[in-house]
Amino acid sequence: MFKKILIANRGEIAVRIIRTCREMSIRTVAVYSDADENGLHVLEADEAVRIGPPDPSSSYLNINLILQAARDTGAEAIHPGYGFLAENPDFASAVEDAGLVFVGPPSRVIRDLGDKTRARQIMRSAGVPVIPGMLEPTEDVETLCEEASGLGFPVLVKAAAGGGGKGMRIVENPRGMAETCVSAMSEAKKAFGNGELYLEKFLKNTRHIEFQILADQHGHVIHLFERECSIQRRHQKIIEETPSTALSPELRRAMGKAAVSAATASRYVNAGTVEFLLAPSGQFYFLEVNTRLQVEHPITEMTTCLDLVRHQIEIAAGNSLPFGQADITKRGHAIECRIYAEDPSAHFFPSPGPVLLYKEPEGPGVRVDGGIYEGFEVPVEYDPILGKLIVWAEDRKTAVSRMLRALRSYAILGVQTTIPFLADVMESGPFERGETYTRFIETHFSHWSPGRQDSTLAGIAYLIDDLARPLRASATSRVANPPTPWETLGEWRL
Amino acid sequence: MKYNLLIDKETIPLEISPLEEKNLTEIRAGEVSHRVAYKAVSETHLHLVVDGRAVEAFVAKAGDTKHIFVEGRTFLVRDADQMVSSPSRTVSDDIPGDIMPPMPSVVARILVAEGDQVERGQGLVVVSAMKMETTLVAPYNGWVRKINTRAEAKVAPGDTLVEIEKEVGADG
Repeated sequence: MFKKILIANRGEIAVRIIRTCREMSIRTVAVYSDADENGLHVLEADEAVRIGPPDPSSSYLNINLILQAARDTGAEAIHPGYGFLAENPDFASAVEDAGLVFVGPPSRVIRDLGDKTRARQIMRSAGVPVIPGMLEPTEDVETLCEEASGLGFPVLVKAAAGGGGKGMRIVENPRGMAETCVSAMSEAKKAFGNGELYLEKFLKNTRHIEFQILADQHGHVIHLFERECSIQRRHQKIIEETPSTALSPELRRAMGKAAVSAATASRYVNAGTVEFLLAPSGQFYFLEVNTRLQVEHPITEMTTCLDLVRHQIEIAAGNSLPFGQADITKRGHAIECRIYAEDPSAHFFPSPGPVLLYKEPEGPGVRVDGGIYEGFEVPVEYDPILGKLIVWAEDRKTAVSRMLRALRSYAILGVQTTIPFLADVMESGPFERGETYTRFIETHFSHWSPGRQDSTLAGIAYLIDDLARPLRASATSRVANPPTPWETLGEWRL
Repeated sequence: MKYNLLIDKETIPLEISPLEEKNLTEIRAGEVSHRVAYKAVSETHLHLVVDGRAVEAFVAKAGDTKHIFVEGRTFLVRDADQMVSSPSRTVSDDIPGDIMPPMPSVVARILVAEGDQVERGQGLVVVSAMKMETTLVAPYNGWVRKINTRAEAKVAPGDTLVEIEKEVGADG
């Protein structure tokens, strides 16, 4: 097993990986930009190396600097987390060439599957159904416009190198097409260094269902069931759950089999996710393979009782999967809510800034994968994810109540967060009924604003805070000199 | 004692009167009167009992604003009577339009040059925050009088990035 792993990431996922490494007695190296000097991952790792200025291209996306940090600290393996370089085949091959181990699939697999049109070709030849659309990407706006009218609107513009919704747009009619392509190309180029786009037919009332897969270097491939990730804003997931309310046992078996075929056809190794769109008819289509650990991996961990990061590391070290498909069972229901520094009442605008107060929810079945702390300044340079709130319960209804209870006791002050929005979704009829489609937010919550019923309570808290301030000073001094049991015991005899 | 509290965007008058008992008070909101018992648990944590119902509140102060968490919601609360009146940001008809970023961000691209004629809705500056790009557009037809920023500059709400002189007779 490795003695030391470098984590080429930041925020909650870096912290998440560090924790498993610690349990495996593997030393950890964090890397950080100047904006993250006080990042939680820097504080939690055994060692931390500054790699550059805040701009991602000069720090977290800089392959040479990260490899240098690995060499300097003697790390044997690099875990990329998600985002940044996680799905960059050049990074994976640079790691391989440097004689280090990349905790993820081989660079060749990332290259094949990261090229979304190449992936569609692989899946088509393996008999996995794909969405109607282009099989070759292009940067030529005219070609895209022609293809779009061929497919018929609405179409989905996607980045060939895409992921996380970057460079992705729905175009309803020919008028906005050219302009949308230019902006999507610019976003894709910035996010992935590749501006090529392709089109897919946009399917209505679909659900986003993905299957977690694990594959070792010895040809064993299994799946760990599905995650339903239909609730998205800006094509980025915000709520995920497992199991999906839409899957019958037969459909689950069929999709699981397709996921394993997809992994086998691409000669996949390590943890990965096969994403499908599920149409109301029950027909499912291959969307893409995410060749990395997913943001929402904890819900699978909760229902299968497996630590996916641990298995990623075991697989990267060359070990065989210690179980087969028949050994994998799932139990209960898990939900994840992503806590973003965004204002949900203003189109989910980013809300960076200092965290003035931070208190995580606790209690049975509650897990927080966090990346911030009180006093931390949320930087403007990176993805606005602050952390993830995950709950597990014996069934969906109980899990929803548990999530609501946890969200209501999750206090973050200083930055706007998605928490009140998420609580309203948990309480909504469509969510309760499991009517979760990819346009859920546009359909049910397009003009969401926080309920004002509590504003009097906020006013009361304001006044009491003024009133209680002198009391507080004495409360603190009491804490400074707590009475010993001997002073408070009174007349008891021991 | 009477207060006018600005809670998010709404002003709410509240009146507070201490009661005989320690840590007990009465707060009137309009016609409704609330009996509030309280305890300061820590520097930021208040335990309130409002009309017999227990409420946990967390309060963090930043300048003249209190950030308050209560029952799963967060609020920005200020004392409206003590607010230093800040220069009005309302754009009246004859003031040049202020092009400001809606959040702390970094200037990605500047799409116009000083002296350019611009049309209402035309993109002027693209700012980027947390990997999301936003285009700031001209509020009306006119010409670019001044550009106060450059690519890659860090900017914040309140910074006027581009000054637009309004074309006479243009719709605002």
